[in-house]
Amino acid sequence: MGTWEGLLTGLSFALQPGVLIYCLLGVLLGTFVGVLPGIGAMAAISLLLPITYYISAEAALIMLAGVYYGAQYGGAVASILMRLPGTPQSAVTALDGYPMAREGRAGPALFAAMVSSFAGSIIGIVVLVMLAGWLSRIAVAFGAADYAAMMVLGLVAASTIGSAKPAKGFAMIVLGMLLGCIGTDVNSGAMRYTFGQTELLDGVNLVALAMGLFGVAEVIGNVRDPERQAVARRIGFRQLAPTRDDLKRMAFPTLRGSGLGSFFGALPGTGSTLSSFLSYAMERRIARRPDRFGQGAIEGVAGPEAANNSASITAFVPTLTLGIPGDPIMALMLGALVIHGVQPGPMMLDARPEMFWGLVASFGIGNLLLLILNLPLIGIWVALLRIPFRWLYPAILIFICLGVYSVRGLTYDIVSVAVIGLAGYLLALARFSPALLLLGFVLGPLIETNVRRALLISRGDPMVFIERPISAAFVVAIACLLVLSAVQVVQRRRKGVPVD
Amino acid sequence: MTNRITGRAALGCALALVAAPAFAQDSWPSGPLHVYVGFPAGSSPDTLARIITDPLAERLGQPIVIENRPGAGGVIGIQQMLANTGEDDLTFGTTINGPLTTASRMMGDTGFDVEEDIEPVTLIATSPLVLAVSTESGIEDLEAFVEAAGAEADAIAYGSVGQGSGSHLTAELFADEAGVDMLHIPFTSYAEVTTSIMGGEIDAGFMAPSAAMPHVEGGNMRMLGITSSEPFAQAPDVPVIAGQAGMPQDFRAELWNGFIAPAGTDPAVLERLNTEINEILAEPSVQEQLLAIGWQAAPGTAQEMEDRIAADTEMWGGVIDRIEAQ
Repeated sequence: MGTWEGLLTGLSFALQPGVLIYCLLGVLLGTFVGVLPGIGAMAAISLLLPITYYISAEAALIMLAGVYYGAQYGGAVASILMRLPGTPQSAVTALDGYPMAREGRAGPALFAAMVSSFAGSIIGIVVLVMLAGWLSRIAVAFGAADYAAMMVLGLVAASTIGSAKPAKGFAMIVLGMLLGCIGTDVNSGAMRYTFGQTELLDGVNLVALAMGLFGVAEVIGNVRDPERQAVARRIGFRQLAPTRDDLKRMAFPTLRGSGLGSFFGALPGTGSTLSSFLSYAMERRIARRPDRFGQGAIEGVAGPEAANNSASITAFVPTLTLGIPGDPIMALMLGALVIHGVQPGPMMLDARPEMFWGLVASFGIGNLLLLILNLPLIGIWVALLRIPFRWLYPAILIFICLGVYSVRGLTYDIVSVAVIGLAGYLLALARFSPALLLLGFVLGPLIETNVRRALLISRGDPMVFIERPISAAFVVAIACLLVLSAVQVVQRRRKGVPVD
Repeated sequence: MTNRITGRAALGCALALVAAPAFAQDSWPSGPLHVYVGFPAGSSPDTLARIITDPLAERLGQPIVIENRPGAGGVIGIQQMLANTGEDDLTFGTTINGPLTTASRMMGDTGFDVEEDIEPVTLIATSPLVLAVSTESGIEDLEAFVEAAGAEADAIAYGSVGQGSGSHLTAELFADEAGVDMLHIPFTSYAEVTTSIMGGEIDAGFMAPSAAMPHVEGGNMRMLGITSSEPFAQAPDVPVIAGQAGMPQDFRAELWNGFIAPAGTDPAVLERLNTEINEILAEPSVQEQLLAIGWQAAPGTAQEMEDRIAADTEMWGGVIDRIEAQ
């Protein structure tokens, strides 16, 4: 089946009322759980699984996929309005989205998030349709050495994120990596820093870490400082619509973010997180005034949001073309297919073309529904800021507890989010960037695992990082980036400009 | 933790003894049952639990709530079952073999003692593993594989889903029986293992048949043998490893999944559950559902499950001993 023929078949399938309704249901629920911090797509999809037994495999997949990418839209809302990211990707959005909301520009921030999410998704769909075969070959060709080099590049590139001094940023990355060491080591099976607590065997709960560092810490900070509360309330409504200048600033970051997201999303693993951080770092690096970042730069919302949404679309490439789920949520969706007797894998495109093309068409329809649904909601979301803080803060804390508890149903995690929140508040007082901690936490263990795996496979030969072409390309990129940064520092010193 | 649970179990025991005649026959179950599963909703062990508990709820006339408590390879699910045991025998669990056989060896302290704290009810199903290689490896059968692995130590690198996982221990058991040394590369999921095999980074892996089959159909992977003693209905063409390429006739390594209760549960309740679950497993529609997710129904008595736990604990313990000695 050719591409156009396929798309037409898919569209006519996905537009049937009996299928469309499940697409709508999926994206609605996705937005909803995305907005509720911490209660991610995972929890929503597990809830929906029993329903999928009673509908066709195609409709089930379209609905579950809707939850998956719909949650990406919703995730931006809580990050921008209340600094409550449930995932590392939305933590990036909070970096500039939340300062924008504090300046009374929550409306434009949400607008930027929604529109660039939509644009990112559409670009992701185009990439998926045009380059699926090529991307899936790259995904298989990626080995341990390549992953390791790619993630080191991500860390190096993103290490300038946050307004703190480089040394402080570096300290946060290292702290994140150390926290990431907690749990069972993949390579040796050794239990590290678990102190005999079974709950720590799989590591610190990522949702608890994200919500504690951002959400709880923010609530503590605001309660302690009534001045900040007053400011946020007075200027909550200054404007809802973006200015012409906003729109101009959004355009290119959205395109660049979509490109990054489309590529990295197709790699199984952390493509989405990595592309968000990379997009933010890239925008900051090429901006004329990098000091605006962290203070409410709309580019810092548009780029990463476009990146994580296009990544959430191309994440389906390995799942659909190879039957290899890139993350646990994808694995859950494939599980739903298996229950329907559909064997996911390289044969699926030929065996059930209506499933592949129907899903691709539903991406387009679903994202359009999301945009239509979310734009009018911006006013309502912003109105949330009007709720008196004595009601809002307890509610936020309750949502945080619910979200953290929903991951594994352990009260242990609720206690840990409180402890992490307190630590996060102290870090914020000292002006350390929690986003970098999160990045180090996610990438650190993966870098360790992949470096050690690569060396195991090469029987101990470190040349593997240079001999493999993909890895070598990343190593060269890392070297260039380091040289570039060094040159910049020297130049600024000469001119007497303080190093940021 | 052990002490606390044992204390509770003892209390439960005492109460059960006092109250047993009254409620065992007449009023049990007096409310909804809670079945703890140590894996997330939608995972294979979770789906398996639901396939059994849906008809079970109908037969018992009470709803069954699945409590997903994922973590530590299923150990947290059992811990939570034990921690939430009430006095009216409504708390149970399903678990894979790991937490009951190898977990205490891998983790040191799991917080429970399998013999003292757990009552086996019945095995539910078993799943063999297949040995799979890339089609580009040129290895056509088990004989050739053993030969290639025997050429020199670590000539073959194989992937598993983690240190001490079924796929790791099975591979080491195989290597020991075949008299070869293979290089172990731990991953965290079958998706990663199959990608790495297809990318040519590693050579082989023992995995669930359902993890390998899509790639076999796609022409990228080949299954050389299966670890069950009989051919497996989900992959009937794959030859059993036992008796091939110099492997012993009784070679068998299977994952299993069973229904368990906290120690101190009324024996009449255990009996009733065993009967009901065995009847459910006898239904062809249930067997088909299980097979679709890679499990073969394995009904039996509580004693058979207890024997299986003991035999596997010893067998895998021996394998772990040899790995640690290296």
